[in-house]
Amino acid sequence: MEFLPLIIFFIVANVIGIALLTISKILGIKKTTIRKNDIYESGVNPVGSATRQYDVKYYLTAILFLLFDVEIVFLLPWAMAYGESNNKGFMIGGFVFFMVILLFGYFFVINSKALKWDE
Amino acid sequence: MLETIIEILIKTAVIIGLPLGSLPIIIHVERRGAGFIQRRLGPNRVGPFGFFQPLADVAKFMFKEEVHPSHVKPFFYTAAPLIALVVAILPLACIPVFAPINFDGRQIFPEVFHSEMGIFFAFAMASLGSYGILLAGWASNNKFSMLGALRACAQMVSYELSLSTAVVAMIFLFGTNDIHQMVEWQSGYWFGFLPKWGVFLQPVAATLFLIGIFAESNRTPFDLPEGESELVAGYHLEYSSMKFALFFMAEYIHMMALSALFIILFFGGYNILPGMELLVNPFPELLPIMQLMSLFLKVAFMIWFFVWVRWTLPRFRYDQLMDLGWKRLLPLGLVNLIATVLFVYFRN
Repeated sequence: MEFLPLIIFFIVANVIGIALLTISKILGIKKTTIRKNDIYESGVNPVGSATRQYDVKYYLTAILFLLFDVEIVFLLPWAMAYGESNNKGFMIGGFVFFMVILLFGYFFVINSKALKWDE
Repeated sequence: MLETIIEILIKTAVIIGLPLGSLPIIIHVERRGAGFIQRRLGPNRVGPFGFFQPLADVAKFMFKEEVHPSHVKPFFYTAAPLIALVVAILPLACIPVFAPINFDGRQIFPEVFHSEMGIFFAFAMASLGSYGILLAGWASNNKFSMLGALRACAQMVSYELSLSTAVVAMIFLFGTNDIHQMVEWQSGYWFGFLPKWGVFLQPVAATLFLIGIFAESNRTPFDLPEGESELVAGYHLEYSSMKFALFFMAEYIHMMALSALFIILFFGGYNILPGMELLVNPFPELLPIMQLMSLFLKVAFMIWFFVWVRWTLPRFRYDQLMDLGWKRLLPLGLVNLIATVLFVYFRN
């Protein structure tokens, strides 16, 4: 019941999107040719396939993002709980300890050249 | 029950209708602004000052042929623009446009989904934007699309980190995660003239957040995913007619939602602009309208700022972009967070 507004909002957003897609499907002209349905590579004949190997750096970036995003996820409840806690010193100590470990990890990542893009 | 549903539907219509309705105006401002900055005219033929040009464009999008190429993965190819649009609209559900008002003995909240966790919901939905883009690039089965999508995702997740550190710093400073309390915190003045906005307390966090918005919505100078000289058009290369338009709309709505969140955190949200008290003090019942106007004006200024930057700064190189995100902004965000926490702790 609490999420009823959200569900209605979600449905309305979807209806708008689907309606827009349907409108152009109905109103648009339909004249397909083989050339038109081909891969678009600025007019020249397509070379190779799209399912080739890409740079591993994109993958590394995603993994490192996960790592640092989890850190943010841990910090958010901490920031919210800080105001209500009685032992502020303990909260701050935990935070500093966490950040020191995190910064060690950060410098390790930078040092291992996982994020070096210009080569 | 019926009244609740009617109330929700009215709010939904307003909250979705306002951004969608102002899209043609924004696109017109963007094109005319480009003309203004580059000393040319811009669109000026359709209607007065070319004002009906965006509407004509919408009509054109509807009547264009929807090319459905043979090499794509059909289901995801159609689903991707829809996902992009829906997740761009969803954060708007939690953005309040004026303070809660007492009407008929009960409190009415302006946002569709009122929750203490509203701001987290908004950020979570805003960061889902990379899914629509990645899916579009992958389903298009085209080298350029795939590269554009990979670039877009790597860039969006990289800048999300520094953006999130800014959010943590602000939530810590406000000591609350309720949007209404945050805005309440920022009401009033320092020294009698300076509005009590978060930006004056946390200029570093505000800068990080602002840069993050540009990267998240793939705007110049961070529009590498659409670098037309190298990637043709990036992830929406194989899309035509309304499917392309949905990506276009999603980008602008995403921009508006993130601007609204930026304003809530750093520019006093719906607090009335300085000078509006002259009108509100004699007529208190005007307050919600003035608050709506204030938020609207602030978002409008942000949109103009986006246009301004777009036609002023050139595009980054990709390695510069990643270096800026990971080696400058992320450490800056972490240091800023530590400094904020220690400042708050030692001040008491």
